[in-house]
Amino acid sequence: MLKNYQPFNKKKVSRLRTALNSCLKMANNDIDGTVIVSEYTKEKKVGEGTYAVVYLGTKQSTGRKIAIKEIKTSEFKDGLDMSAIREVKYLQEIQHVNVIELVDIFMAYDNLNLVLEFLPTDLEVIIKDKNILFTPADIKSWMLMTLRGVYHCHRNFIMHRDLKPNNLLLSPDGQIKVADFGLARAVPSPHESLTSNVVTRWYRAPELLFGANHYTSAIDIWSVGIIFAELMLRIPYLPGQNDLEQMDVTFRALGTPTDRDWPEVSTFSLYNKLQIYPPPSRDELRKRFIAASENALNFMCNMLTMNPVKRWTAAQCLESEYFKEIPPPSDPSSIKIKS
Amino acid sequence: MFATLKVQLSLSRPYLTRNELQQAYKNTIPDRRSYMQRKLVIFKFMSDICVQFQFPRKTLETAFYYYQRYYVFNKFETEMCHTVATTALLLSCKQVETFKKINELCIVSFRLRNINNINQDIIENFKKRIFQVELRLLEACCFDYRVNNRIHIDEYIVKFGKHLGFTYELCHLSWVISYDILKTDLLLILPQHTIALAILKVAFELLKLKDWPVNDYEKFKTNNDSINEAYFGVLNYYINAFDSCNLKDHTSSKFPPVSLEVFMQLKANSSPETGLKDFTMKETEEDKYLTTARDFTQRERRYVLSSKFVKEENAIINAKKRKLK
Ligand SMILES: Nc1ncnc2c1ncn2[C@@H]1O[C@H](COP(=O)(O)OP(=O)(O)OP(=O)(O)O)[C@@H](O)[C@H]1O
Repeated sequence: MLKNYQPFNKKKVSRLRTALNSCLKMANNDIDGTVIVSEYTKEKKVGEGTYAVVYLGTKQSTGRKIAIKEIKTSEFKDGLDMSAIREVKYLQEIQHVNVIELVDIFMAYDNLNLVLEFLPTDLEVIIKDKNILFTPADIKSWMLMTLRGVYHCHRNFIMHRDLKPNNLLLSPDGQIKVADFGLARAVPSPHESLTSNVVTRWYRAPELLFGANHYTSAIDIWSVGIIFAELMLRIPYLPGQNDLEQMDVTFRALGTPTDRDWPEVSTFSLYNKLQIYPPPSRDELRKRFIAASENALNFMCNMLTMNPVKRWTAAQCLESEYFKEIPPPSDPSSIKIKS
Repeated sequence: MFATLKVQLSLSRPYLTRNELQQAYKNTIPDRRSYMQRKLVIFKFMSDICVQFQFPRKTLETAFYYYQRYYVFNKFETEMCHTVATTALLLSCKQVETFKKINELCIVSFRLRNINNINQDIIENFKKRIFQVELRLLEACCFDYRVNNRIHIDEYIVKFGKHLGFTYELCHLSWVISYDILKTDLLLILPQHTIALAILKVAFELLKLKDWPVNDYEKFKTNNDSINEAYFGVLNYYINAFDSCNLKDHTSSKFPPVSLEVFMQLKANSSPETGLKDFTMKETEEDKYLTTARDFTQRERRYVLSSKFVKEENAIINAKKRKLK
């Protein structure tokens, strides 16, 4: 399919100008089902995920740089991938500066293409690139933008379910964009059961580690808390090698939850196998996060509260003292991420 | 050269009026009678699959929206309708998060049609056709996921019923009616909450209750015309198809006795029949959205949800056009 997809070529355009002109005349009369010039070009492959190939392209009418996610069709076992469906479904609903914009959808022959805003980098790249220096104010700015995006999803009753540094993309003007809604879903009603097999392991909330079949948007906040820790440490905070080890790593670092602060947590079937660790003392946390202020530690601890009911909501996070104390969050466009 | 550069831009119109539908069907349904007969067979078929897998009502509802929507823009052929139906279910399962493996769906789809000696080749072939139809189906919906996204008719019945303080019997009766109503065109014409509220009204009257408590439909984010469209849609369904309805088989002592006459009486009581303001057939004739067959050979077929987007883009193109001159 792709071979047929010749990038739009400027010389060809001028040769076709007359033809296009008559075509444009037709386009003026009516909106629906009319003919307009070809809109999107694919210029260069920039990445590939499990269910899509991503290209850099241009929107012809505006000259805007965009990313085109071409959904792979041939290899599907169950038809159009769930991730593609979820991505379209939820991005259609959400418009926010801190959530990736779905610009358009088109079919080319039998391929589905999602047109997204082009975002040149992501937080994972930045965290890993040791040549890039960033300040506590930069971290605060990224946390603020991330939480604004997450809050917007949650107030629209959408859980992201896969927050991690590599899904927090950055625009050329420094804005964080929550991206990759391939695992997202609507906040469930009380009796609906869900799969706990969501979220990349290191960012998985304790209720998911326990295999809960009902959970809420609180799982996203846990992920944000872990991302915050990772930004401060510049290495993954709780990198478990496998699912069982993830529990051990998590509880060794943050204490095993007990029925006292999380009623009935011991009724999860996996609970009996657990080693009981005490929660870390404040001093211990201060040592772990040397540069963090008391308010920053509070902010983190409240996102990493074991009991999902007691964990802060996105709104509570946004109102935390951490954002009010100095240093103020950096202006996104001023953060230098080029090494 | 010129032809390959053409792009088709379609604005999503998730709901259509009766005349709009009629206009579109002129292209796609040559024989209305056979379409209607098939539709009942297919509805039964899809219901049976849902029972097999214990899917909730919303899976069936969404699937049947897809099935009907498909034939607004694609030609109806009797041989294909089980494929379209199976695809509609596959897609609906993804949409409402009641996921099932395609193999399982295919096997049940064959079994319920008494097609026995199936082998892997037959299944693979069937799957290929399903994948094609799946994309066509999404195109028929303009990839518009705003419909069928959150709350479905049966869920609204419960929520509204509770809000209005209705009895369990009234809601149960409405729930049974709502199953029948899935078979009608209403799903293509009106959103779920409006249909649910109108069904509650019919059930309310069947139970001979007095003083229907809703007079401000705006509070329910709908309006008089829409409710009337749905209300008369429900009554007309029972008047025209009473013999094949499911409601008549529900003879619980808690349910009021129903008959054709009962529905005719309800209609007489609330005449004259009103509903959505419709376009004239002449107006719909000029609507290219309905009269032009979808051209799947177009190189780029774009689908957008907001007319604002189309207007903005048109403005840019017009500006460019002026420059070119
Ligand atoms: N909007 C975008 N702008 C620029 N590059 C992008 C954009 N979206 C994705 N990419 C690039 O394309 C790659 C593939 O993205 P995609 O979302 O398909 O997969 P993924 O999330 O990396 O992996 P998977 O789908 O397996 O989880 C990304 O790693 C990124 O480099």
